[in-house]
Amino acid sequence: MRWLPTLLLVASIGIQQSFADRVLVLGETAAVKDSHSVFLNSIKERGHELTVRAADDAQLALFKHGQLIFDHLFVLAPGVQVFGGSLSPVEISKFVDAGGNVLIAAGSNIGDALREVAVEHGFEFDEAGTAVIDHHNYDQTLDAGDHTTIVVGKDQIISAELIVGNAAKLGPVLFRGVGLVSGKSNNLALNIVKASGTAFSSDPKAARAVNPSIAGSRTLLIGGLQSRNNARIVFSGSAEFFSNTFLASKTNSVNPLVQGASSGNAELASAISKWVMKESGVIRVKSVNHHKKGETVPPAEDYFITEDVVYTIEIEELKNGKWVPFQGKDVQLEFVRIDPFVRATLKNNNGRLSAAFKLPDVLGVFKFLVDYRRVGYTHLYDVQQVSVRPLWHTQYERFIRSAYPYYASSFSMMAGLVLFSIVYLYHKDTPIKGAKVLDSEKKKN
Amino acid sequence: MTSKTTSRVGATTLLTIVVLALAWLVGFASRLFAIVRFESIIHEFDPWFNYRATHHMVQHGFYKFLNWFDERAWYPLGRIVGGTVYPGLMVTSGLIHWILDSLNFHVHIREVCVFLAPTFSGLTAIATYFLTKELWSPGAGLFAACFIAISPGYTSRSVAGSYDNEGIAIFALQFTYFLWVKSLKTGSIMWASMCALSYFYMVSAWGGYVFIINLIPLHALALIIMGRYSSRLFVSYTSFYCLATILSMQVPFVGFQPVRTSEHMPAFGVFGLLQIVALMHYARNRITRQQFMTLFVGGLTILGGLAVVVYFALVWGGYVAPFSGRFYSLWDTGYAKIHIPIIASVSEHQPTTWVSFFFDLHITAAVFPVGLWYCIKKVNDERVFSEFRLRFERQANNLFISVILYAVSAVYFAGVMVRLMLTLTPAVCVLAGIGFSYTFEKYLKDEETKERSSSTSSTAKDEKLYDKAAKNVKSRVPDCVNSNVSSPVSCVLSVRLCVVDGNSHYAFFFCVSFMFHNANEGEETGVSSNVRTIISIILVIFLLMFVVHATYVTSNAYSHPSVVLQSSTSNGDRLIMDDFREAYHWLRENTADDARVMSWWDYGYQIAGMANRTTLVDNNTWNNSHIALVGKAMSSNESAAYEIMTELDVDYILVIFGGVIGYSGDDINKFLWMVRIAQGEHPKDIREENYFTASGEYSTGAGASETMLNCLMYKMSYYRFGETRVGYNQAGGFDRTRGYVIGKTDIKLEYIEEAYTTENWLVRIYKRKKLPNRPTVKEATIPIKGKKATQVNKQDLTLTFNFNSLQGKNKKGVIRPTPTSAKA
Repeated sequence: MRWLPTLLLVASIGIQQSFADRVLVLGETAAVKDSHSVFLNSIKERGHELTVRAADDAQLALFKHGQLIFDHLFVLAPGVQVFGGSLSPVEISKFVDAGGNVLIAAGSNIGDALREVAVEHGFEFDEAGTAVIDHHNYDQTLDAGDHTTIVVGKDQIISAELIVGNAAKLGPVLFRGVGLVSGKSNNLALNIVKASGTAFSSDPKAARAVNPSIAGSRTLLIGGLQSRNNARIVFSGSAEFFSNTFLASKTNSVNPLVQGASSGNAELASAISKWVMKESGVIRVKSVNHHKKGETVPPAEDYFITEDVVYTIEIEELKNGKWVPFQGKDVQLEFVRIDPFVRATLKNNNGRLSAAFKLPDVLGVFKFLVDYRRVGYTHLYDVQQVSVRPLWHTQYERFIRSAYPYYASSFSMMAGLVLFSIVYLYHKDTPIKGAKVLDSEKKKN
Repeated sequence: MTSKTTSRVGATTLLTIVVLALAWLVGFASRLFAIVRFESIIHEFDPWFNYRATHHMVQHGFYKFLNWFDERAWYPLGRIVGGTVYPGLMVTSGLIHWILDSLNFHVHIREVCVFLAPTFSGLTAIATYFLTKELWSPGAGLFAACFIAISPGYTSRSVAGSYDNEGIAIFALQFTYFLWVKSLKTGSIMWASMCALSYFYMVSAWGGYVFIINLIPLHALALIIMGRYSSRLFVSYTSFYCLATILSMQVPFVGFQPVRTSEHMPAFGVFGLLQIVALMHYARNRITRQQFMTLFVGGLTILGGLAVVVYFALVWGGYVAPFSGRFYSLWDTGYAKIHIPIIASVSEHQPTTWVSFFFDLHITAAVFPVGLWYCIKKVNDERVFSEFRLRFERQANNLFISVILYAVSAVYFAGVMVRLMLTLTPAVCVLAGIGFSYTFEKYLKDEETKERSSSTSSTAKDEKLYDKAAKNVKSRVPDCVNSNVSSPVSCVLSVRLCVVDGNSHYAFFFCVSFMFHNANEGEETGVSSNVRTIISIILVIFLLMFVVHATYVTSNAYSHPSVVLQSSTSNGDRLIMDDFREAYHWLRENTADDARVMSWWDYGYQIAGMANRTTLVDNNTWNNSHIALVGKAMSSNESAAYEIMTELDVDYILVIFGGVIGYSGDDINKFLWMVRIAQGEHPKDIREENYFTASGEYSTGAGASETMLNCLMYKMSYYRFGETRVGYNQAGGFDRTRGYVIGKTDIKLEYIEEAYTTENWLVRIYKRKKLPNRPTVKEATIPIKGKKATQVNKQDLTLTFNFNSLQGKNKKGVIRPTPTSAKA
């Protein structure tokens, strides 16, 4: 019964994936349809159902009768101070907690609502009016002179193919917007795109930057998060990052080391959107089985110590809307009782991962634990609790070879006692004097 | 003449049977207070496990029980119950249940468990009768049987519902000792085998069997040293030791201990010694004196030296376990406190106070030194008059040594640990029986023709023989030594009691000791019949008072189930507080079947027994480090505790809190032990001194340290406690147990949440929260405008947005105007 929640979760993901996903796209105005048409159309082409609204629309809602009415929320409206309708930062958090995925794209005119959403998810945007400035990596063509249009190199992008696609082939990426930083205690933060060491966040209009609150490579341009229920959230400091302009233009970095090329924004935006919409990096447990070697089902009661067991877990990955066998080779199994007693890398045979090992000579309540956490993948966690008990009193060896001398000695002792008793009771001393023998024999008779 | 004797024997037998039956009945009845007051319920802590185990055995059969691996205890370590339990208790009640069942008396196993201890108290009385009869006289036996039937020291562990090992073990102890005495007296292998069998039962019933396996060798050793070796001793001891050792090894929990631990080595040593002594005796008549001396001195020295060397070599090599900590704590009372706090933390392992000697033994405590003195005197007489060494008498005196050793060792152990009062009580009852019997004999003898009220008068046939011998003795033994030693012993005791308690009750002990002083001399000088009558009456009054006291103590002190609490309202009505069962029932009904409940180990058995949930630690304190881990969780702050609890898969945490009703046995009062035990294993993380106030006191009140105020135990105990008010003029959060207002009342829980609190707050259950789904920034470094405080915390946000949503769902949003960008 312990796997039931896992199955349910798996089932719910399955259902979710079988339909075209419903996406709510919020722009500052409905004009976002045009300014970000390339990005949005690419999503539509992938078979999703887009609903584009203005962020201040009074009819906005994410829930209806307690159910999600959208699977994903894209906010491409940097300046939202207060969302329209029932939407609010808290509502968005609830949406995430209910399994919805969120993409937030901000900008220098960031409104309080977005900043609050970020705070609710362990990130912080810089204040409104500020922008990430990099005097060494701005784009000469697109920049207005305040050096806020940044060209981002490959090395600043997270090395996780599932999130950003093939980073090696990616062209330089254009970015213009507000800085982002992950909270101190945010252990789940993914620094998808970080700023270079020369960047800082400040008001570009100010004469000079005074103590910028965010600076250097700590500054995030795009940050991501996969919450514990596997919902995904991406914060981008720039809505223009997804815009037609940036997607189409060529880069012309002031940095001579960066070659001018067509921007990688399109590829990166596509990859990120795929990740955030859970089109990539989604794995699930199909089935788990463990049994004694030579059997096929788990034992009726408990395992015994030092038995040979086989553990098999089937893992599937979602690829192009279909569940296919997972091909990862680095999934590990732990056999845990507070500490892991056995740790084995599972052998992958086309999605059937298995390990055979000998149970430790330790009794207790153990767990077969697969806790697979990889950047970009959903968290795969499976626990099977089993008891490992000592042998029954009848299961020990009856006769031990090394005890043969003792068996021999005890039996010889017994025999000796019997012999001795017989001798003692019936032995008569050899007669020395005939008369006495006669006497005793007379008595006997 | 023959018919007269037969009728007298018949009358005596009848009287004996009647007295014993009455003793059984009274002993049984006086143990039923708890049932009459409350209900037929298992008491306290350990009995709950015993009950659960018995239930399991009755349900699944003996072999399943023997191999029972309990995965619900000591999670995640588990416990092999079959191999870590003395199964005698379960088997006994299982057997009774089976017999009743086959006789078509269908009783629930719980009833059998509840009434087992009172039933066995009757058997104990009978065993005591036989033991005392062997040692002294049937009259003394009857006295002793009556004493043990109602003696509070024994009742304390055997009231109805107190379903514990001790309930049957005392019977086994007395019976084994009786059989040992019997086998020593007769020198027959049969009695020795019976003794071994009885010992086997004792081993299967109680860990206290170590007492008897050391006492019997001690007796044998004493006899050897006193030059009283005989072939009877050899036969009975060797057959007993061999059989007993093999039999005791059949109990899975004992296993190889009899050959591998130091506690059992004395018995083995004496066994070896006995062989040597036997050999000497055999050789003495067959070789010359010169050869004998060489053999004796040389052989013994070499063998003795070799034995010591071999022993230490075995201990060093790990083949024989050194003495355990519990053993050391018997000799050095401070040992446990320093080295094994888990042992010292148990209240019944504390040294005994003088008051409890009186409380548990009453008049018998004062009389037993007298009985002891009589025994010593007998031994002494015999030694002085060695020329009259009659074989039978010599044997009898050997027995006195046994009871002397029994009493003296039991007194010592009872002084070290309250719990061992239990082993003292039978010895005291035997000796007090002897004391009373002897005195009454002296005082009622002259009036034998007129009075035949007491059975004791007719029972002292053997006694007279001794007395005659003794009277001859007296001329050489200075009387003053006898009498002056006996009375001072009890005098000192009574004065001491008097001073300690200041209770007029103890004044009686003066009287008693003087009575016996007189009684001692009385046998020589002769006392007028008036004095005899008065003294006899006074003694009878004392005996009556003993009955009253025993009943009073049983009723008021030892008949509380401790699962159900009782108090009284201001107008005297009884108030039953059933918080424990309320909480356990809640757990049973409202939590997942495999939920794991963390609590201090005291409540482990109860949770398992009543709530049927998995526990981490319980009263079978076999794994100190696991307990220390729980102690560490309880004494750490919330986040550190959370890590430990996650590691251990804890779902619920249960604490006992008595601050609302003034229950002093709660977890805050035990908390220091948790800290100490945790410190023993994790000295880097937990330090006892951090939990004290600046002035070094243990307090949760005003001056409590920061560590104390932030530890999980404090938070769980006092969460929401600030809201309570005892009276109008009393500040919130007044702790009635400790009598002050607590140090910190605004307690916020982050990692756990309150799941249930019982009616009187006695039991509080908390649930471990899951980790938050997503991280939030608690202290924003960049302020968000429009917020009053520079720090955004979650609650402010919630408030604001609740306000927003109140404005209506269909509100229009606000968007910051886009700044005119130069190149937009």
